[in-house]
Amino acid sequence: MIDATLFAAEVVPLSIVDAFVEFLHPSELVGVLVDGLSKAAIYAMIAGGLTLIFGLMGVLNFAHGSLTMVGAYLGGAIMVLSVSSATGPMTRLAFFFVGIVVVFGALSAVGGALEISLIRRLYDRPPIAQILLTFGLTLIIDELMRIVLEFYDLQPRADWIAAWGTKPWFLSQRLSIGPVDVRGLALFEILMGVLTVGAIWAFLTRTRYGLFIRAGSEDSEMASALGIDVRRVFTVVFAMGTGVAGVAGMLLMWDTLWGASVPLGAETLLPAFVVVIIGGLGTFRGTVVAALLVGMVDAVMTWWFVNEIRFTGLPELTIFLILVIVLIVRPQGLYGVEGVGGH
Amino acid sequence: MATADDEHTRAEQGTGWRSSWPARYARDHAVHLAVVLLFACYPGIYHVATTSQFGLVFESFLPQVQTMTPILYFGLFAMSFDFISGYTGYLSFGHAVFYGTGAYLVIVIANGKIPLLAAGTPFMISVVLAAVLAALIAVAIGLVSFRLTGVYFAMITLGFAQVFYVFIRGWDWVATAPRDGPSVSFGTHPEGFRIGIPYVDGASYAIGRLYGSGLEGFLGLFDLSTTVVSFYMIGLVVLVCYLAMQRIIHSPFGRVMIAIRENEERARAIGYNTFYYKLGAFAISGAFAGVAGALFAGYRRSVTPENTFYFLTTGDALLSSIIGGLGTLAGPLYGRLFEQGLDEFLSKGSEGGGLLPMLQEYLSRSILETNALGLTIEEMIDAFINGRASLYVGIVFVLFVLFVPNGLLGSLRERVGGPIAKLPGRLFGGEKP
Repeated sequence: MIDATLFAAEVVPLSIVDAFVEFLHPSELVGVLVDGLSKAAIYAMIAGGLTLIFGLMGVLNFAHGSLTMVGAYLGGAIMVLSVSSATGPMTRLAFFFVGIVVVFGALSAVGGALEISLIRRLYDRPPIAQILLTFGLTLIIDELMRIVLEFYDLQPRADWIAAWGTKPWFLSQRLSIGPVDVRGLALFEILMGVLTVGAIWAFLTRTRYGLFIRAGSEDSEMASALGIDVRRVFTVVFAMGTGVAGVAGMLLMWDTLWGASVPLGAETLLPAFVVVIIGGLGTFRGTVVAALLVGMVDAVMTWWFVNEIRFTGLPELTIFLILVIVLIVRPQGLYGVEGVGGH
Repeated sequence: MATADDEHTRAEQGTGWRSSWPARYARDHAVHLAVVLLFACYPGIYHVATTSQFGLVFESFLPQVQTMTPILYFGLFAMSFDFISGYTGYLSFGHAVFYGTGAYLVIVIANGKIPLLAAGTPFMISVVLAAVLAALIAVAIGLVSFRLTGVYFAMITLGFAQVFYVFIRGWDWVATAPRDGPSVSFGTHPEGFRIGIPYVDGASYAIGRLYGSGLEGFLGLFDLSTTVVSFYMIGLVVLVCYLAMQRIIHSPFGRVMIAIRENEERARAIGYNTFYYKLGAFAISGAFAGVAGALFAGYRRSVTPENTFYFLTTGDALLSSIIGGLGTLAGPLYGRLFEQGLDEFLSKGSEGGGLLPMLQEYLSRSILETNALGLTIEEMIDAFINGRASLYVGIVFVLFVLFVPNGLLGSLRERVGGPIAKLPGRLFGGEKP
């Protein structure tokens, strides 16, 4: 017994020190950094639409994850139908960007229709009612998707493998840049994340409609008194938010870590909530910072899980712990303003 | 009007047998009694109805007895969810933690993993321990979470629940394959879990479909199968828990809970320390959720992280509560009954009847094989209706949120003008509403 405890006491700290030294090795660090940035890009994309909707309308959209899932399948269908094995990599990329436009348009239409037909009825009810309604929508959307998938003989619970095969070859390989070895798709995801965040940012700060949205977020009564049609702004924002969710889904459809499947809805919904709440409900800047934070923590913890600590849920566990700690220490989130969202 | 008023006053002043306390008590609980009787007679009703001339129709529409047992314990979980969410207005989106704690504790005890507690610890003691542990966890979570309100409260409880979920899914102490969840090992706990008075064999019956007690010649009349005995024993525990929660809601403590829901600031201004009331309500609600989880584990003998700690388990309780009526204690049970009844009605398997077997019996083949839009009617039912209960539950749920915000029981209560349990008193006892 005594020998065993001495043995343990000696070995455990040493191995942790060793692991730290290995972790701090430049090539490992850069690998983790790239991984973290790609995760942050995805988190920013799945949470971006959610935060737009919450910031302006105070609606916590539980159907967001399911709409991401619909985007993944729609995007996958576009790619699988248009790409054959002979299609060159650049053509595949071109199809992808065409697909993004189609998915954004289609899901915006769905989002706009949902807002006009259902969500609009609940603005004067307590915020819980909107959570409930959108939660019910997820059930309907998921089950409808299952009907469609089973009609085409696809497994709803398993990732859609045919969609993975539509990537250009350089995105499905690992690229070696100097001593560092990174996933090609990770770089593409970072690019897409930067583009999406940049586009939303430009829309919010550089366009007239963005001005309406920011005014509406600050004080919707005052904005409507100044002649802004706040109802229309609500519809546009909801449509845009679901459109962004669809685009994020289209990207996830290529990623073997996520993949298009019906459970993708629940898998993306929870991290999206975490990011939005850590950042502060309703601030786009906060969401981006929180996505970076969560992405980095996720990457670091994934490295530790793979190399040292044998606990499967480690990255996920840490992410939810961050949520809890942020809510305890700073309930309004990193950049949130007190008083938003029913404090 | 004058005569009616006179009668009211007479009843209140206490003349005649009508105002003696047993009569009052019976009147107050007449509806409870009727519902309990209905549930108690259900196995018999089901048996008679399904073996009658129109057996197939009844078999299609009535849930099986073995479906009713899960409805009871999950209904208890949904009631405990409603106890905190419907009465104080704080949406506890992490309520699955307490359910999961109860379920896992029972199995871990039965596997002999807890020091000082033998594997053969009576189930009733495990249930009480599950309630205590769940209440303690509720206090720990509540201490932090009740500093927040509204959406933030829902989110922090969800965050805590997910921490527990991810942790339990990776913790290999509870089960050899923690992702698939633990089950009661036959080696350490070969017999069924017994509900009743601990250590007295004659006063307790085992639950579970395989391990439960069957009763032959009960009262010299019936043979009760393990399914039916489990239904009664679990129903008994659920009934006791319901009456306890109902008592609390109608106590001064419960009034303060409702005051918090209606206007927390005002409740605080009157002098109530609302924080402690919320914490107390949360602990009580957690304890009953723990009991529900313990019953679930005792009945099924194996659980997974997905059907205990996962946030969609809370989602199911939420569905039942909304359909049944948030803020009516018994409502969630009826909500669950509705939801599971629909689920069984539209189930794919032939077990327990369902829509398709019934149509196959009563409609001619030619109608079922009519071609419409490239599919026969039978294929259409199979693709869009059978096994798609969650689609229709979702639609019903959305319609309820939009148009029936008070739920089944809440709307009925509004129509009647007060709690249903008070109705006989008003109708027959002359009590004022």
